Amino acid sequence: MSLMNIELILLTVLPVLIAVFMCFSTNFNRHSRNFIAVMGVGIELALVISLFVLNFEAVKNSNFFLQYTLGYTDTPFVINLAMDNLSLFFSLIVTSAIFLIVIFSTQYITAKENIYFALFFLVLASIQGSILTADLFTLYLFIEAITIFTTPLISFEKTEETTRAAMQYLFYGITGGVFFFISMILIYFNLGTLKMAAVAESFALISTPMQLTIIIFFLLALIIKLGIFPIHFWLPRAHSACPAPISALLSGVLLKVYLYIFMRLFWTMIAFDFLVELHLSDFVLNLALVSSLIGHVFALQADDLKKMLAYSSIGHIGMILAVLLLNTEAAFYGGLLHITAHLMMKSGLFLSSGYLLQTTLSHNINDLRGIGHTNRLVFAAFIIICLGTIGMPPLIGFVSKWYVLLAFLKARHFFGAFVAAAGSIIALIYYLRYISHAYETVKEDGKSIKEELLSLKGFFSSTNKMKSVIYIFTILIIIFGLGFKILEMPINTAIFELLNPEKYIELVLGG
Amino acid sequence: MNKLVKKTLITAVLAAAAFALYYNFSLLPGYQDLEKGISDYIITYGLHDTGSLNLITAVLYDYRAFDSLGESTVIFGAVSGIVLILSRKMLPVSSKGLSFIVKRTLGIMTPFIALFGFYVITHGHLSPGGGFQGGVILAAISIIFSIVYGSAFDYRRYSPQTKTVLETGGALTFLVIGLAGIVMEGAFLKNLGFLTAERGTLISAGSIPYINIGVGFKVGAGLAIIFYSMIQKTFEEDF
Repeated sequence: MSLMNIELILLTVLPVLIAVFMCFSTNFNRHSRNFIAVMGVGIELALVISLFVLNFEAVKNSNFFLQYTLGYTDTPFVINLAMDNLSLFFSLIVTSAIFLIVIFSTQYITAKENIYFALFFLVLASIQGSILTADLFTLYLFIEAITIFTTPLISFEKTEETTRAAMQYLFYGITGGVFFFISMILIYFNLGTLKMAAVAESFALISTPMQLTIIIFFLLALIIKLGIFPIHFWLPRAHSACPAPISALLSGVLLKVYLYIFMRLFWTMIAFDFLVELHLSDFVLNLALVSSLIGHVFALQADDLKKMLAYSSIGHIGMILAVLLLNTEAAFYGGLLHITAHLMMKSGLFLSSGYLLQTTLSHNINDLRGIGHTNRLVFAAFIIICLGTIGMPPLIGFVSKWYVLLAFLKARHFFGAFVAAAGSIIALIYYLRYISHAYETVKEDGKSIKEELLSLKGFFSSTNKMKSVIYIFTILIIIFGLGFKILEMPINTAIFELLNPEKYIELVLGG
Repeated sequence: MNKLVKKTLITAVLAAAAFALYYNFSLLPGYQDLEKGISDYIITYGLHDTGSLNLITAVLYDYRAFDSLGESTVIFGAVSGIVLILSRKMLPVSSKGLSFIVKRTLGIMTPFIALFGFYVITHGHLSPGGGFQGGVILAAISIIFSIVYGSAFDYRRYSPQTKTVLETGGALTFLVIGLAGIVMEGAFLKNLGFLTAERGTLISAGSIPYINIGVGFKVGAGLAIIFYSMIQKTFEEDF
């Protein structure tokens, strides 16, 4: 495989270029600006898919590896971008979800679109950068960039509540970044390098107390960013205050990116054995499970639709983190499958809730009465995605939860199995509460499902775009639920990378 | 629980945290153990590789130029975000500026401040300074104007649109030089060979001076935009 794969740098730089262009576009009309936005993210998606299709054989045989070197190749502090199966898998699912979210937001956002899209594309660039980079400092830079770019998007509708949520998000995001920075500096002091592969090779040379300090600060940083139990309270506020596409971006996509960074740090850079040796993996595992349970229980008492969805995100992310920390092949399979499932389901739920809440007075449960009668088809899609989240059989949520449950049982971790099952039951209660409210009063003027289906003729006409995106997410959830074997090959090759970090280290250092 | 117990508890917790931090950071190796390979490398080969006399600029805009691109993009995004959150219609009109003496003195000094700003930007590869530092000096002129001449003065001369154009122009310069690196040298942000000249002259060190100019305009215009967004008021606030 060649040394310089230009696609990797284009993936990060192209969104920045579009973002700069969007800032210029104050005088553009709405149509052409939307066209540029969809085109930009479409090119991005086409690039990632072409990487997958053109290297299909290599991906299948798990020797897929792309690399791009920035700067002078023979210097010790060169910046590398690298893509292996794990990064390819995440890049693929994340870019596809963002593509659909951008299509949704072209119709949803009606004011200040130029700055909205500029910031959105900057977030996309930082997401791609943090997935692709093989350098610790560049990773830190992109993590901070994500926090800074999403903060103004959270307070997009300037009210007191959104401003407060954004301030809190910024404060905790920056605090997490500072912890990350401390670890990074300690690594640099001790090893004199920030290349992840070089750190991985010589991490064992650091004294044990120092290793403990570094790992604890990394864990703290990622626990804050992921919203795990003791420091989770900023997450529901931030994820419910912003416009619907941004909620989908934060809850559906960004949390998965942080999970990816977690895997990259603790499996590739710092071998997982160090966590086990220092007795940290069990502690974090139990913390994540408690966080999962607390998230589901708090969702029960949330009277705000989007807050309920955000609390449910805490529940799911805690479960995924716990199952990944089991460190078995079955656990990785369940975890990665549930990452994909949760990405689709939570994005779909936030987008459909955003569509439904356009016509209501507030997000409160009491204002949702009769909403199931006025938007029958969208609400039917909402119910299907809810059932997926609970884990109903033909949908992808069932498959992924089943594998997570199996992984916990195989590892004889019964608390984990209990949390995975109990989460589903609690979720059933809180979703049913909202669904029953939505059908409470009968309204005469709503269209019947048949009429709505007939009006769908222009599936991609501009007025129907928001609905179409929601239906696409619903259909994807059903299709992948029936044919989850499609995901088996990419997930298994990604697991291969997690279990064999030597390949990544060798190839990055060799090139 | 009375106040004294609360205060004692807080003090105890803080002291324990401080002790834990001290204990942890006392494990840090001393200076003599620092890995010197990288700094030695830069001191030996930096001038040869990049043609820049200022080695910090060489690291910022050549060896690790991608990180600098990220940092300046963060500034770009922060400016967009602040404009999004704080864009208001009203400028405070109360300020008529300071006395005649101050206005006159600043009028004489301004060209020299601007000249110094441009000097710091363009000589980034020869002497201490560079795009970030020079840009801040340029932004300071705009800020001093609003204090000395009243807030509307700078607004009339350079509208926010002009500043946005300058800022995005700076960002585009950086990106275009990076993409030109792909076309001409085969790597993103690689130093452009055809621009190199004799070391120590103003036009040398490849693309570094041009990146400096781009970053300088971006930082200067960006900070000025941030300042003017922050001093704007809503109708409800009193003047």
